[in-house]
Amino acid sequence: MAKFIVRRFFLLLLTMLLVSVAVFLITEASPGNVAKNVLGAFITPEQEASFLAQMGLDKPAHVRYTHWLLGSDWLADGKVGLALKRVTNAEGFVDWWAVRPNGDLVRWKLVGEDLIAVTQPAAGGEAVESVDNERWQAGTDGAQFAWGVDTANHVVRWEKGTDIEVWSFVVGTGWMKTTGGPVEYIPLKKGFIRGDPGVSLRTGRPVADTIFTRLRNSVVLAGIAFVIVMPTALLLGMIAGLKEGSLKDRILSIGGMMFSVIPEFATGIFLILIMAVWLQIVPGATVFGEKAPWERLDMLILPVLTLTLVELGYILRITRASMVEVMKSPYIRTAYLKGLPYWRIVFKHAVRNALMAPITVIMLHVNWLMGGIVIVEVVFGYPGLGKYLLESALFKDINALEAGAMILVLLAVGTQLVADIIYTFLNPRIRYA
Amino acid sequence: MSDGEQATTADSAVDDIPPLKRDRRSVFTRLTEGLKFIWASKTATVGLFLVLFWVFVAIFAPLLTPYTPLEQDWKNPNIGPSKAHILGTDELGRDLWARLIYGARVVLVVMPVTDNLWIPGGTAIWGVIVALLVGTTLGLVSGYHGGWVDEITMRLLDAMMAVPIILLYMIIMAALGASAINVVLAMTIVGTPGIARLVRSLTLDIRTREYIRAAETRGESAWYIMFVEILPNARGPIIVDAMLRVGYAIFAMGTLGFLGLGIPPPSPDWGSMVAKGREFILSGSPWAALWPSLAIATLVVGLNLLADGIREESMRYQ
Repeated sequence: MAKFIVRRFFLLLLTMLLVSVAVFLITEASPGNVAKNVLGAFITPEQEASFLAQMGLDKPAHVRYTHWLLGSDWLADGKVGLALKRVTNAEGFVDWWAVRPNGDLVRWKLVGEDLIAVTQPAAGGEAVESVDNERWQAGTDGAQFAWGVDTANHVVRWEKGTDIEVWSFVVGTGWMKTTGGPVEYIPLKKGFIRGDPGVSLRTGRPVADTIFTRLRNSVVLAGIAFVIVMPTALLLGMIAGLKEGSLKDRILSIGGMMFSVIPEFATGIFLILIMAVWLQIVPGATVFGEKAPWERLDMLILPVLTLTLVELGYILRITRASMVEVMKSPYIRTAYLKGLPYWRIVFKHAVRNALMAPITVIMLHVNWLMGGIVIVEVVFGYPGLGKYLLESALFKDINALEAGAMILVLLAVGTQLVADIIYTFLNPRIRYA
Repeated sequence: MSDGEQATTADSAVDDIPPLKRDRRSVFTRLTEGLKFIWASKTATVGLFLVLFWVFVAIFAPLLTPYTPLEQDWKNPNIGPSKAHILGTDELGRDLWARLIYGARVVLVVMPVTDNLWIPGGTAIWGVIVALLVGTTLGLVSGYHGGWVDEITMRLLDAMMAVPIILLYMIIMAALGASAINVVLAMTIVGTPGIARLVRSLTLDIRTREYIRAAETRGESAWYIMFVEILPNARGPIIVDAMLRVGYAIFAMGTLGFLGLGIPPPSPDWGSMVAKGREFILSGSPWAALWPSLAIATLVVGLNLLADGIREESMRYQ
């Protein structure tokens, strides 16, 4: 069993690695231009080149993938000669600093010919600026250069005498033209496997900040739907399966089939039209902003109901089929012949075996459920992970897309592993070598 | 859609592969017999009528409306059903009935390859056909060849099946851009693993039969054995699976269109019609979102009723 879990766990990691490479390659090969997506269609070539260099997007694909996966700070601190440290500042932004041997944090900027060190003393207090021209080194071609950490989280190489103009784009402010630009940038990040998915190109904020809120919202939605669906579907499925071919069975199974095959967006539209437009009892869209979804429960009703109806049919039909099969089996007939009361046969003998199939199938169904959640989120404008992922995919926001994809794969493959393990407990006949 | 389901259909299907017997009766008798079979089941009959309705309006779309799907009646945007527009108009004043039936055409009858080139066979139909071709070939090769070919193909397909379908769709379509060809490509990539698994399991069974041994002894090539000996004998379950996949392809096409990843505007596509119409529901004109939702719902429900009815009837015969 332990060996089986370890093996499956490695397969999970392998799948995630393959998917991350595939997502990267597909996004890479696709037409479209991230710089134009971020900055609009009317940027000059200089602005575009400056933006791409600062984002590290001018580097070859394999270098960018390695930086994304493993980070770039371990590569860059050798160049600076000091250890690098990530700090979250008072406003909640991430800052990278070099650490002096005495514990002071330091960054540099170039003013004319002088390199200015901005030092943040380890003891606390205001940052001090001082001229720090000892860092200049002589290059092979005679030009003087220096590696350092700039004020926008890059390790950069300045060259003396080349006062390059930099266009930087600040989300919400616009273009800023500054001088003192370096000739080479290495954007600093910790890398995905060390828990830093990078900065979203679309929003300019760290992916990790956004994605967990979005994930929480989606989990709330799916969780409520799950809590409603499970008992209802199992109960209705059993009722339908007990009397195969009866009117109750026909209505339940055809109704279940209809709800499970109609696309989620159509079901959502029908519900909006009936409940929000015609009867006017619940709001037809969700507006949360920064609020948590549970602060406006009335707005959750329609998304949850849509998801419930779609999932209900599927699980109902599986439970029904499983119940029908169990009720035909010889041991149930024996129980009848023994003269056991009907309800005792159903609850004591049939249900236990009949529920085995649905419970495992539900776990395998998570893959499918995710599709439903994405659509429901788009229909109702619900700020969940699926909507975030869709917007990122359309924007070619690679960091956000990769992070979202990894979460989805982890959930899909992880639940399958959990399902297999649960199955061994439900059905002791199964052993994994 | 899940593993368990596929495995069971494959297993039970292997047992009832019909013996090769040429049916010498006329096409007409066979057709009426098939219809009688469907007639016997109420659900199948209802399903058949729903599907036939959409096939009919899709084929005869140009004769059933005086408008084209792109024509704008700019004086009457977002109106409800009226004498001039039986189902109303959308936000640009385009006739909804015309867009609806031309939308059915794109799903079932023609596929817009470029602006000027439209090939017969609906986009959803092509999605199933191409997936069938690729999936069947992979399944046959890995099932018949076995060994490391089988191992590598199946592990790769397993990895693909582990990836959430919606994620595959989003990434593929976002990377390739929205067009009918890319919708077919996305459906192929998503559909292939399932078909390949089914065909492989059928091949593994058929491979052990005497007539395959005989063909091998005759010195037939591997391709001949796979496509002439094995494939025709595995056709029953593959056809049943393909029929279910048509319903799913229509579902997928609608979903892609709704997410803005389907056939690009202005061409009529049910999913994107709903996505656009959704914006106007709360401002008081629900028609543009209602009709295409209803259309896709009736079509997929029709297909599934038909499939369910046929399955129940055939079980009764056994």
